[in-house]
Amino acid sequence: MAQILAIVIFVLMFLLIITEVFERHIITMAAGLLTLILVFGIGMHSPDAMLHTLNFQEIFTAGFWYHSGEAAENASGINWATILFIAGMMVMVEGMGHVGFFRWLCMRIAKLVQYKTLPIFITFMIMSSVLSMFIDSITVILFLAAVTVELAQLLKFNPVPMILAEIFCANLGGAATMCGDPPNIIIGTSLGYSFADFISNTGVIVAFALVITIMYFYIVFRKDLCHNRVKDTTAFPDPKEAIKDQKGFVLSCVIFLCAVVLLVTHAQTGLTVATIGVAVAVVTLLAAGKDALELLKKVDYKTLLFFIGLFIVVGGLEETGVLEVIAGFIGKISGGNVKLMIAIIIWGSAVASAFVDNIPFAATMIPVIKSLAATQGVDLTTLAWALSMGTDIGGSATPIGASANVVGTAVAAKEGYPIGWGKYCKELAPITVIVVLFSMVFIFVRYL
Amino acid sequence: MGKQLIISIGREFGSGGHEIAEMLAERFGLKLYDSNLLDEIASEKNVDGYHFEKYDEVPRNILFSRKVKGFSNSMEENIANMQFDYLQKKAAKGDSFVVVGRCAETMLKAYPALISIFILGDWDHKVERVQRLYHLPLAEAETYILRQDKKRKNYHNYYCNGKWGDSRNYDISINSSKLGEEATADMLEDYIRKCLALRD
Repeated sequence: MAQILAIVIFVLMFLLIITEVFERHIITMAAGLLTLILVFGIGMHSPDAMLHTLNFQEIFTAGFWYHSGEAAENASGINWATILFIAGMMVMVEGMGHVGFFRWLCMRIAKLVQYKTLPIFITFMIMSSVLSMFIDSITVILFLAAVTVELAQLLKFNPVPMILAEIFCANLGGAATMCGDPPNIIIGTSLGYSFADFISNTGVIVAFALVITIMYFYIVFRKDLCHNRVKDTTAFPDPKEAIKDQKGFVLSCVIFLCAVVLLVTHAQTGLTVATIGVAVAVVTLLAAGKDALELLKKVDYKTLLFFIGLFIVVGGLEETGVLEVIAGFIGKISGGNVKLMIAIIIWGSAVASAFVDNIPFAATMIPVIKSLAATQGVDLTTLAWALSMGTDIGGSATPIGASANVVGTAVAAKEGYPIGWGKYCKELAPITVIVVLFSMVFIFVRYL
Repeated sequence: MGKQLIISIGREFGSGGHEIAEMLAERFGLKLYDSNLLDEIASEKNVDGYHFEKYDEVPRNILFSRKVKGFSNSMEENIANMQFDYLQKKAAKGDSFVVVGRCAETMLKAYPALISIFILGDWDHKVERVQRLYHLPLAEAETYILRQDKKRKNYHNYYCNGKWGDSRNYDISINSSKLGEEATADMLEDYIRKCLALRD
């Protein structure tokens, strides 16, 4: 009975998220509460399972903040490390946006390439990927798309191709690191992987895929972007004008660079992502001075609540053994064939992520791949990289697949450049398939 | 005209609401906003308005769009919001105009200059009118009316708390089938002039 209840709650939650009848954090929190009461309370009569899923005890262990040896696998249930890290990064990113960092960076690069459309196109794709390795893709695309529209109006080109390419590259860049995309943060903290683990595995795939992506978009869009209709650029806005607070700007840059260094070296320093998130938030708030309260108010608490509710619901599936059944099913249809198993995970994740939120999908799939690795004797890391690439890249295929797609197309539409499903999928679905295919072949060649 | 006057006209499909709106705009010497709003917005944003048309007064498709942090990638919703913003800007500037549909009775409710009207019609009269204007056989005309009204209702009710066509949301609701379009416009003109006189 507990299994049925857990499945019903999960399916209902997913359907409600898709239909957006209520805001998604309300849906997951309500579903989480139902899981605690119905699944753990009435179905399982297990206060232990409830406490295990709420996972508060994790925060009070030294290993949550610092670990001296190999990174340890986290317990299932609410992944507090993910929550704290995302909250910390949100504060830092708000601080950076507040002082004008992103707009300055975009305008600076545009000026560096002398406002030539094609070089802007290529550098913005690279910038979108690189920034998304460390900052959430929504923020990256929000600023990039807005500046792209502004430059398009000044330079008289159609911004839609550039925005589409930036969206894809933001999702691609996010796949390269542990902190780039929520599924990776969840995978990393749940399975105890480090930043270096991601960058040396998914990061390498992304580096090659970025070259393929730039070539693809160059071939597809070069005719739209090869004209430089405006010759005189002397009256264009000075990048310095974007900086709203010189001192705050310098501090934000320093904090960002420190955050990058801490993340890159966290396996060596022993600092966990939770510690880094909290440290970055505290320093940003101290540096913001009187604006600290304003920054805190801007933090997206709804997303944090969404994660908490989601982890409880997935915990319900895990504790009741539903995810083991799914893992057994994948193991059975693949007949122990590792290549087929990886293909199912990467393509299944990609197709699912193209239509539904990839965060709940990834959170659900982690216990599944853990169980698969344990029962089928497959290397867990290989399955994790397949899951990461599938969920992160698959989301690019449709306008609703990932948050960056929604924000990018929404910014374009607000400025008078509607991007329908037809246009979006025509340009981005092929490159999504190409990159997922490339990732699968890469995983086959490198790990099997 | 000295005093600001905004006339919003909601209408059932086939009721002649648009025609009545045109008559009122002409009689009061006001600009009429309907789907031409999109051209105005497009020229303001310096873009091609041709792509906007298919999203005009269409409800949001919840399965094919998503909202993230207040950003919606539903083109229908973005186009609707652009129109609401445009109308509100015009109203705030003190402009006078007639607007057909676009949830104007709700979006411009805060402006004392607004007179909101809803035009409905008898079913047979609407069917006959749609058959005549669109050269459609009876069954197709009936289906067309039902489809258009459903679309308008869903569009309206997505953005507004009050229900589409509910007389409590409008200053006056009138059945154009009883008097015909011309006489209905006469009656509404009289009503509007009396409202204006009372405002002095």
